[in-house]
Amino acid sequence: MPKPHFGNKQTTWVKDDRERDYRINDRIRRVTFKQNRQGGKKEYHGKDWSQAIREHLQDEDVDMGISSASGRNYNKNYNKGKKGRKGSPVPNGRRKLLESPTNWYKISLPHGDKFEKNFLLKVLQEKVAPLPFMPIAWQVFGTTCTFYVDEDKVAEKLRSLDKQIQLPNGFKLFVRVYPGSPNVDMNTELKEKIKLVMAKRYNSATKALDLTKFHADPDLQNYFCALFKPIVFLTVLEIIAENIPELEALNLFDNKISILSFLKKSTKKISNLKILHMGNNKLREMAQLDALQGLPIVDLILDGNPLCDKFKDQATYIRTSACNTWASTAPLIFLSAVRSGKRLPKCIKLDGIDLPPPISFDIAEEHHLPDPQQTFLCNSDGSSIVRQFLEQYFHIFDTDNRQPLLQAYHENAMFSMTMAYPYGYGKDKNVSWLNWYATDNRNLLRLQDPDRRSKLLKQGHLSVVSFLQEMPQTKHDIHSFNVDLTLFTPQMLCLTVAGMFRELKSGHKIPPTRYFFRTLIIVPAGSGFCIANEQLHITNATPDQAREAFKAPPPPPPAQPNMVAPVATTSSPSVPVLPAAPVIPAVPDAAMKQEMVQQMSTHSGMNMEWSMKCLEETQWDFQRASLVFQNLQSAGVIPPEAFVK
Amino acid sequence: MDHMKAKIDQACRIAEEFTKLYYETIDKRRHLMSRLYLETGLLAWNGNGVTGNENIQKFVIDLPPYRPHTAVSGQLTFMIQASGSVKYQDKTPKTFQQNFVVTAQGDKWKIVSDCFRVQEPLVK
Repeated sequence: MPKPHFGNKQTTWVKDDRERDYRINDRIRRVTFKQNRQGGKKEYHGKDWSQAIREHLQDEDVDMGISSASGRNYNKNYNKGKKGRKGSPVPNGRRKLLESPTNWYKISLPHGDKFEKNFLLKVLQEKVAPLPFMPIAWQVFGTTCTFYVDEDKVAEKLRSLDKQIQLPNGFKLFVRVYPGSPNVDMNTELKEKIKLVMAKRYNSATKALDLTKFHADPDLQNYFCALFKPIVFLTVLEIIAENIPELEALNLFDNKISILSFLKKSTKKISNLKILHMGNNKLREMAQLDALQGLPIVDLILDGNPLCDKFKDQATYIRTSACNTWASTAPLIFLSAVRSGKRLPKCIKLDGIDLPPPISFDIAEEHHLPDPQQTFLCNSDGSSIVRQFLEQYFHIFDTDNRQPLLQAYHENAMFSMTMAYPYGYGKDKNVSWLNWYATDNRNLLRLQDPDRRSKLLKQGHLSVVSFLQEMPQTKHDIHSFNVDLTLFTPQMLCLTVAGMFRELKSGHKIPPTRYFFRTLIIVPAGSGFCIANEQLHITNATPDQAREAFKAPPPPPPAQPNMVAPVATTSSPSVPVLPAAPVIPAVPDAAMKQEMVQQMSTHSGMNMEWSMKCLEETQWDFQRASLVFQNLQSAGVIPPEAFVK
Repeated sequence: MDHMKAKIDQACRIAEEFTKLYYETIDKRRHLMSRLYLETGLLAWNGNGVTGNENIQKFVIDLPPYRPHTAVSGQLTFMIQASGSVKYQDKTPKTFQQNFVVTAQGDKWKIVSDCFRVQEPLVK
């Protein structure tokens, strides 16, 4: 066709349809031009054109949230596409529906409010068939009904139905299609719905949760609840952590998940996960798996993700059509990418195929930390003393009046307290502040002034107990206690006890759960025992700890190899731990000792060091020390250096 | 009372020196750990007991690389309590508390007992 001819036609057309041309204004001049070309060829285009204008005006009425102009162009172009737009200067891409990177499309039906939801869906379903039609999150905004579909083909098909369906009121149904998905507004109601659906899909016997095509669950269809949305995924993890922390297998097949990086800080919520099936998702880079680092995953399915194609390009591999699995050398390359670095080093099954066990250097990179034990007792004889001492001590400590603890402390007892916030849960608005404890914090790294260091060391049982009395009221969770007895001699015990307590009546809206770690030096006193020295560290319970606090006591733990005797199960005759009568100091104070050593030295002729040794070994019983000295002296077993002054 | 004050000052000094040495050693020179303990010294690591300085060194060497940050408190009996955070390899740092009973052997301070606990629930 010669060009002049072309221009001529345009002029003709514009003349003929001038009125309409004005109505559609400059914004769609390009469209006008195209119409003209077609109009010149085919008789019926005049009619289509006026319809296009009506459609345009229609669009103006409804706020679609997405440029109405582009929507109009799609539809019109699409309709005309097959009818002779050969040689159109417009790029081909415009004729097609813009592909949604997430595969999600919003469908809107202007004026759809005039009909029943079920009627419209039924009509559309019949036309879309045999493609699976699954409308998600049906909603009505003003006069427009909207819903979402998750497949390119379905979206394409729906778009082709625009103005193709005759409605009972004589109009034709408008069907608009836009790529995209809505923002998800997570609320408690939706979370409850999700929880119910998860409960339905959880198999407690196998500890497996099947979230295949989660958004399509009939119970969730009224919501937009797609797992590719981080907020939805994180909510699901939250529900797992709260309800099924033992989860070992998770099936995420067919959820259009393209990123995992947001999981990095949440993997501890699925810390027992061994099997992860992520087939048919949208993962594009292997690096996305980095977010799963640290999970004990042994069985992973990635088949059907775009990232697999990368490995297809890099290595020649044969995919056996029968079982659709990896063969040749590709799996090894793929595998090494999966296992590389610290990604998922334990993975031994990929896409259903058992893989050779990982080969590592003899110097293991992965260290296994020994499992924590609740109790360590260096001497099983100490167990009943420890148990009774702690029971009595914390029973009194948790009452209003801590004065009776005077009997639990040696007259010259010393006490020092420190505080700190646990790592990662520092002083911010989300934690209960430890201000009360900060005032008396005797952290030597922070506290340089020697006078202050000395002042914060409480000396003497009166000073100690009056400080304890000032401390906020508490309720300790004795079942949470970790107890370590690291020294057990007739002269002294070194006992470490750590655990959780609630701080009461301290002005916090919710009683804060704190964690303490106390080191106690316990010495015999009269018929019982008392604390000669104590260091108390106070911190907040971590969220993990707080969750476990004040739960019903766990069943008695199985015999632990490192535990000489479990505290809780040992029965023995009652030991009067806190004697009813005031404690007679079993160990004299430092000045007294000094004097005793001096006397011993004068009396025996031994030097100070040996005199002290002798007294120490007889627990500062001067008479016994003298007796022992005499016996050993007459036996001639005291070495000469004992007398070197 | 001055006498007592001097002892407290000494304890504080020992606590500072000791914790610096201890955490530097466990961080960078674990093969020297046994020298810090009495021959009969004891370590209770998260409830796992190890006796004897050589055994302790072996146990400590088998632990993953370790990066602690500490705060300390000490007093007259040379009982030292520390807390801080510790990072094993690339895992998330954890808060820990630890105490030591330190005694003099000849002209050297030695650990009699060492009790270490990570601050986390026992059962997950």
